[in-house]
Amino acid sequence: MPPAVLAHPLLRRGPGYWLAGYRAMLRFDLASSRSWLATFGVVQILMGAGMAIIYGFYLGSMPRETATFLATGAPTLALIPLGMAMLPSAIAVHKIEGTYDFMWSLPVPRTVTAASSFTIFTLLALPGAAVSLGVAAWRYDLELHLSLWVVPAMLLVSLIATSVGFGVGHVVPDPGITNVIVNLIIFAVLMFSPIAFPIENFPGWLAAAHRVLPFWHMANVVRAALTEGLVSSVGNSYLVLGAWTLATWLLAGWALRRHR
Amino acid sequence: MTAASPPIVDLRSGPGYWWHSYRLMVRWELTALRVVLPVAAMVQILAGAGFVLSLGLFFGQVPPRAALFVSTGVLVITLVTIGLVLGPQLIAQQKAEQTYEFLWSLPVPRTTAALAWVTTNLILGLPGMAVALVVALLRYDLDLHVSPAVLPAVLLTLFTGTMIGYAVAHALGNPLLIAAITQLLIFVIIGFSPINFPADQLPGWLAAVHRWLPLAPMADTVRAALTEGVVTNVIRSYLVLGAWAAASVGVTALVLGRRR
Repeated sequence: MPPAVLAHPLLRRGPGYWLAGYRAMLRFDLASSRSWLATFGVVQILMGAGMAIIYGFYLGSMPRETATFLATGAPTLALIPLGMAMLPSAIAVHKIEGTYDFMWSLPVPRTVTAASSFTIFTLLALPGAAVSLGVAAWRYDLELHLSLWVVPAMLLVSLIATSVGFGVGHVVPDPGITNVIVNLIIFAVLMFSPIAFPIENFPGWLAAAHRVLPFWHMANVVRAALTEGLVSSVGNSYLVLGAWTLATWLLAGWALRRHR
Repeated sequence: MTAASPPIVDLRSGPGYWWHSYRLMVRWELTALRVVLPVAAMVQILAGAGFVLSLGLFFGQVPPRAALFVSTGVLVITLVTIGLVLGPQLIAQQKAEQTYEFLWSLPVPRTTAALAWVTTNLILGLPGMAVALVVALLRYDLDLHVSPAVLPAVLLTLFTGTMIGYAVAHALGNPLLIAAITQLLIFVIIGFSPINFPADQLPGWLAAVHRWLPLAPMADTVRAALTEGVVTNVIRSYLVLGAWAAASVGVTALVLGRRR
């Protein structure tokens, strides 16, 4: 425990306490995941680069617009599995190992735990997202128009992904069920979501569902920050994503506030 | 041990003993895996059908050649993933849990253990293969010409895939290394080998390497038995595949035949 916390043993609130707790929690999380963090980062980068190339193998020669669509979907595809799959799995491991209750006994605000998870899983996802975009742009010889919107877009996508993962990880009591949910999410995202290909290809009912679900909108905000003229009504997507963030936070907040 | 065994307790050889042991081992495998098997079969079926369907979302208008390749390729993938990926992981788990040595202490010929595992794979692989084929036929207007060669093609593909996985799992000592190799393998099978798409969509050097690896010949033999005019020189594919089957049987025999 850092000295900053010990200095105020009676005052366990306020921004100073929160920050000190955040720093301590970040160090705790990093230290406890050090055995797999580096390996996982490398695998993540390889997967990101691999996916961008694999889609091309399946499609053969493709028109420039298809290639641009594919390349600008790659960062979103790299961000989602980390927050939505890896984070709940990491929480499930704590439950299996019996360290879960200990985690909650640490003298930090619960929002600190959430913020620390968000920070780590976002940082872990960013290299993979960047590499997959770079590899795709190089392989398909694309010209991208990077705007500063890429920062809020990527952060928002990662925030929702980690919030959903955090909520699922904590709300679902049985690690086995967490595992099943996680795999279903990955399956739906990788195979049946309009992230790397246009929503126009989807049958009507599935397209309608995706206008409510967050995945298409996540791809939209990232794509809008990387291209010009490919995405319309990006404001709408930001609104939908804002609503999803709020909803997942309410869910996560409810999960964390429960007394046991 | 069942009632049939006491009379032959002194005669641990001969076809009768072998057949009896084989039946026992198949029952042993199915019982040992009773928790994993339904899940694995479900995953096989979902992934197979999912692949076939998601390709339609991918392309919008699916070119007939792409539909033909992915529909026949998915069959091959469902046939070999259990043997190449799940099998080695199960054996790695036995090594990690230290039940591996016990299994080899069972009083059965070692060939029956290997063949029982191949049989289990066949039981597991066929439903997934059938479902994928039916889904493909319903979804796409496929030009299939099923010939009797489908029987040797499917059996040889399944046998070779299972035995390669078996050889790798028994030859390598470290369970983590086995897990890493099989994870990499599933990535290669789905993304970097000409199973779901034509070899000419791969870079030239990779296509050339695949001429000597077992994956492309597996796809070619099965595809040749289901279509007309798509695969050329299928005899070569049978020969390459046969050589891999013989080599993996040789390695397995060498590793398992050792006295310890």
